[in-house]
Amino acid sequence: MREISIREAIREAIDEALAKDDSVFILGEEVAQYNGAYKITKGLLEKYGEKRVIDTPIVEGGFTGLAIGAALTGLRPIVEFMSFNFSFVAFDQIVSNALKIHYMSGGRFKVPIVFRGPNGAAARVSCQHSHNVEPLYAHLPGCIVLAPSTPYDSKGLLKAAIFNDNPVFFLENEMIYNIKGEVPDHDYTVEIGKAKVIEEGVDLTLISYSRMIYFCREVVEDFKRKGIFIELIDLRTIKPLDVGTIVTSVRKTHRAVVVEEGHKYAGISAEVISLIQEFCFDDLDAPVQRVCQMETPLPYSPPLEAETIPNPARIKKVIEEVLIGVK
Amino acid sequence: MTTEEIKQPTLYQSDPLAVIAEMGMHLSLKMLDEMLLIRHFETRGEQSYQQGKVWGFYHSYIGQEAVQTGIVNALGADKNYYATTYRCHALALLLGMTPEEGMAELFGKQTGIALGRGGSMHMYTKNMYGGSGIVGGQWPLGAGLAFSLKYRGIKDEVAVVFGGDGSVPQGTFHETMNLIKLWNLPLIVVVENNGISMGTQLERTIANPPIVENMSKAYGIKSYSVDGMQLPLVYDLFKKIKEEVQQTCQPIMVEVLCYRYKGHSISDAATYRTKEELERIKKLDPIESFKQLLKNHCGFTDQEYETRSEVQKQRVVKAVVEADLAPFPDVHTLEEGVIIP
Repeated sequence: MREISIREAIREAIDEALAKDDSVFILGEEVAQYNGAYKITKGLLEKYGEKRVIDTPIVEGGFTGLAIGAALTGLRPIVEFMSFNFSFVAFDQIVSNALKIHYMSGGRFKVPIVFRGPNGAAARVSCQHSHNVEPLYAHLPGCIVLAPSTPYDSKGLLKAAIFNDNPVFFLENEMIYNIKGEVPDHDYTVEIGKAKVIEEGVDLTLISYSRMIYFCREVVEDFKRKGIFIELIDLRTIKPLDVGTIVTSVRKTHRAVVVEEGHKYAGISAEVISLIQEFCFDDLDAPVQRVCQMETPLPYSPPLEAETIPNPARIKKVIEEVLIGVK
Repeated sequence: MTTEEIKQPTLYQSDPLAVIAEMGMHLSLKMLDEMLLIRHFETRGEQSYQQGKVWGFYHSYIGQEAVQTGIVNALGADKNYYATTYRCHALALLLGMTPEEGMAELFGKQTGIALGRGGSMHMYTKNMYGGSGIVGGQWPLGAGLAFSLKYRGIKDEVAVVFGGDGSVPQGTFHETMNLIKLWNLPLIVVVENNGISMGTQLERTIANPPIVENMSKAYGIKSYSVDGMQLPLVYDLFKKIKEEVQQTCQPIMVEVLCYRYKGHSISDAATYRTKEELERIKKLDPIESFKQLLKNHCGFTDQEYETRSEVQKQRVVKAVVEADLAPFPDVHTLEEGVIIP
């Protein structure tokens, strides 16, 4: 099968959606003539024209609200945030309009819209440009939150998101845009709300998503060499969580660690661990632990940055603690 | 600076009698009925609030009836896209919400226009996209409605977004004005200037009034200002504007000078305004002044007026009774429709 990068996979999903349905359009800063700040939309202006690939001024609140208005009347906008940090400028439009109008209108109007762009820490971009927004948005009812880690899932989930009738946050990560993987030529989607066991194991369940999956893979391989087999779950969808896949795995391994790039306090890992204690209380042989970004704004200096976000060494250390008593 | 010293915009002028002649008696009476319906609806809605049957934030449209009545009738209720603020009962009634659906929504009942989920500030009906509760939150949404018309090549409709003078200092207002001009969107921006941003007078919120006359220049958008207490003028101006927007596919900004008789919301005793000021305002009443025009020039009588007012009042009274009797939503439906399957 052919191999393409995550960047190309996301582009193909947008390209195919634009080709398939006239109501789909993409707008954002630098998406058209500049080909996208991260070149996701490269070539799309040429192919679909300025009516459907739209450069906006730097005005996140304005263009997000505009896209929501368009979605209310039957269009399917894809809103590119150059980075999800800039979605905060549009926070009121997202929270008060996109996530509320369907319910608040008694189901009269729907908001089929995708908010996408890079999320989380990039490289040395410091405190204001490194947020993990998933707990902020996933906290609110009325939306779907996706954070895939592979080219296959990126393409399949983004296509599912564009044709979904709900507001969807599609969280990318700049650090993995160039990672390659197998993607079929044929048309496919990946079902929203399904996690994936990407490595089977019996000794511990390791749960993560997006870029952190690659750190987890490294750690899982390390332990495998020592004869410890860790089951690795890629959540892929953060909201709604695939409780079944998580619970089935933990009931088998009796131990779990959750790795989240964002902060520990009230994060996604807190939600996952809460579900595990709810459904697997009698199955657990050790307290469930988590590895998260430390409780600091993300600093610029390389050693500080590398330490505050989860890294393989920290993940390994926590897993060792949870494995005490095994073998 | 007192209210009187604020620079007033140049107001749109037209002969009200000529406009009424053009509208004809049938349409004139329809609009009179609609204004009366709005007033009775708000009166009974507030009364029900005082009786503990309606809760939350309640923003009355009393005093401003001629504005949206004139605009919706000039543009047409059966098409076009509309969005407004939390002061949204009148627009919903004008666009087809029944008094029963509206009152039941205020009462939080299952039969409400939004199934009792939205309440006073969030009414939606055909062609009406809220009912937006955050000051200024509706401005870019309005741009999106206009964008959608243009994107789909619909040329015989326009989008209209309403907001108060209090939402003009918000960034969303200026972001939206820039975008609609930049992209030539068929949006009519209506600033309903009632002079008070919640409890703060305009001279303490707007740096350089008159709002639209001055700000439209900054964005290169054509603008008008009109006395919103005079129904024929509002109607006439928006007839003209509709044609202009359709011909030019350009946005237009309008400032409508109006007054709200009540506080910002029901909990606001409006102590920032003297009794004398309110009495002066009430002499300009949009319903009373329209009635006088019809009486003096069209053979309309006080008796006919009372009869018509009573008909609208009874519609609202019936809606109140029905809302009172209607069941609350079944709590089992609480989580339905949060996500579309």
